[in-house]
Amino acid sequence: MSRTRTVRLVAAREITERLRSRTTRLVTVITALLVVGAVTIPGLIKESSKPTRIGLVGPAARALAPTLERGARAAKVEISLTEAPGEAQGRAELRKGELDVLLSLAAPSKTAKVQVEQALSTTIGALISATVEQARLDAVLARAGVPLSKVLPVLAAAPIAVAVLKPAAPHEDARIVAAIAAALLMYLSLTLYGTAVATGVAQEKTSRTAEVLLASVRPGQLLAGKVAGIGLTGLGQLAIAAGAGLIANALSQSAKIPASVWALLPSFLAFFLVGFVLYAFVLAAAGALVSRQEEVQSVLLPVAMPLVLGYLLVFAAVGSPNATWLRVASLLPPLSATLMPARIALGHIAWWELPLDALLMLASILAVARIASRIYARALLHSGPRVGWRVALRLPGHAERGHSGASVT
Amino acid sequence: MLEVLDLHHRFGDVLALDGVTLAVGEGELVGLVGRNGAGKTTAMRAIMGILQPDEGTVRWRGDPVGDSERLRFGYMPEERGLYAQMRIGDQVAYFARLHGVERRAATQAATRWLTRLGLGGRAQDLLVTLSHGNQQRVQLAVALAHDPLALVLDEPFAGLDPEAVDSLSEVLREQGADGRSILFSSHQLELVERICRRVVVLDAGQVIAAGTLAELRERFPAQLRVRVGSSTDWASRLDGVTVLRSDEDGVLLLVDPGVDSQAILRAAQKAGPVERFAFESAGLIDLYRQMISR
Repeated sequence: MSRTRTVRLVAAREITERLRSRTTRLVTVITALLVVGAVTIPGLIKESSKPTRIGLVGPAARALAPTLERGARAAKVEISLTEAPGEAQGRAELRKGELDVLLSLAAPSKTAKVQVEQALSTTIGALISATVEQARLDAVLARAGVPLSKVLPVLAAAPIAVAVLKPAAPHEDARIVAAIAAALLMYLSLTLYGTAVATGVAQEKTSRTAEVLLASVRPGQLLAGKVAGIGLTGLGQLAIAAGAGLIANALSQSAKIPASVWALLPSFLAFFLVGFVLYAFVLAAAGALVSRQEEVQSVLLPVAMPLVLGYLLVFAAVGSPNATWLRVASLLPPLSATLMPARIALGHIAWWELPLDALLMLASILAVARIASRIYARALLHSGPRVGWRVALRLPGHAERGHSGASVT
Repeated sequence: MLEVLDLHHRFGDVLALDGVTLAVGEGELVGLVGRNGAGKTTAMRAIMGILQPDEGTVRWRGDPVGDSERLRFGYMPEERGLYAQMRIGDQVAYFARLHGVERRAATQAATRWLTRLGLGGRAQDLLVTLSHGNQQRVQLAVALAHDPLALVLDEPFAGLDPEAVDSLSEVLREQGADGRSILFSSHQLELVERICRRVVVLDAGQVIAAGTLAELRERFPAQLRVRVGSSTDWASRLDGVTVLRSDEDGVLLLVDPGVDSQAILRAAQKAGPVERFAFESAGLIDLYRQMISR
């Protein structure tokens, strides 16, 4: 029987049994819902934000309506104007919540009175004060016999030439959010599926299923199949979540998430795959070291540390995306899986960094897979108390038997 | 024929196998007996390639056993192990496929074996929902579903109720009759005696005896039951004779090979009227005790 067929069988069992489990299905649905929520809820909030209702009391206030509306459009705030018959009645409407702001102005030269129930938003405050200011200026000039048209050019702000030395990448805010989200998602999914590998290996060991398996499967095949099966399940779940997010984004029309951010998706999935494989081998070896299922958590901890570190460094990366230490750190394989996708999202990456990173990742996967398989093969049948990995490497082995069989005469 | 030639293996300071050689012919059931730590499990793991012995060869039909030959072996380890949260039908089929059986054939074999072992209606049940005895049956189905040429079963009877013991004995006899080579270990010597033609006794990593029960009996003192009235101490002075025990049924003597039984009869007659004088065929248990106590 070919070796790949065995690996495929092991992987297929992992996938089938995982898809059959209620937990997996639940996690898939929850992840998809979270992503859909993250994509659509900003849009929903925006849609539900109501215009500020301003009640106008007095003829001078009413005369301000066109200027207020023009100003609101320029400032991109929504307002709706109503004429209140009197101040007392306007205040009553304010208390009932039918109005947000009450603006009373008897004549342009008088003091304008603004009343709110609790607080006046700065934008609306600025809008009103600018409008009132302009109206008063208008009135004063008219009284002095100077037509406004003559004054306006003088009043206009002196032209300033603005030179931006460090232009922000398009959608800078969205990119920062995407970077942090990518790192968080990577950290969570690597932890989730990495733990699944360690737990699965520990289960096979402690339930002694490993011995039955090893009668027909080599440890390397078992390990490869397990990593492939769990990795593909994880990739599938993430792809479903991403697909749900894309559809939700298209349907909600909130256009909160720009296409440049969605373009990061393939690289995110690619980094998940290599990051997962790297961690999965280490975690499989770690899982094989335990003697009881309860010990899995304690062997997971040291392996998960670089993942946590990588995630935390992303916050520093957002502040200084070009720092040398960050470039170096993101090339280190254990940190790369979380840091590099975040840096791609931030968009400050040199052309040579990705190929170099890919090379380093693949090299370290090969090296880690070799050592991890040796530890795995030796520790898997070792019963008794938990062993350290150095001890495991010295245990009598199973893996190295040749195709010619057990003849060592 | 499954042959094990001169296996040596050491775990640190412990010499687990010290030149174990044994053979199981096709259609033959061989019982592997010995106390705990004698090396039975290590020998079986070495046969299955789960453990790489320091020295020694395992041959099948004259050729060294490799991965592809081992796929035609069936194995039941001493510590049973299957996936608790997997349906038993899928589980048996999965292990059969790992042994190279195609998907359809594997599913059919799983159904056939589960039905044969009395679990026909439960293929969709998770292993964990089965009783201990039924889980053992699934383990046996896993060892058998790929239609192995040789079976290596480590303590297959451990923990079985009498009914399950009978049904497993029947399956093993059937498998033997089909021409398979079956090696199994057991502490239940009366069982080994009942179903095996040949026995291999391991002690401290060495084969201390091997052969059919009749062959083993010839090498060890025979048991002679004599009742002479109420006298019991007449036999203690005889050469080549040991008093195993004395009770209301008289004395049970161990008679070394070559001792003239007529001389014993004459000595008995001197002591009183001989009411009973008969050789009893030693059971495996008696033989085993003698071997181990040497």
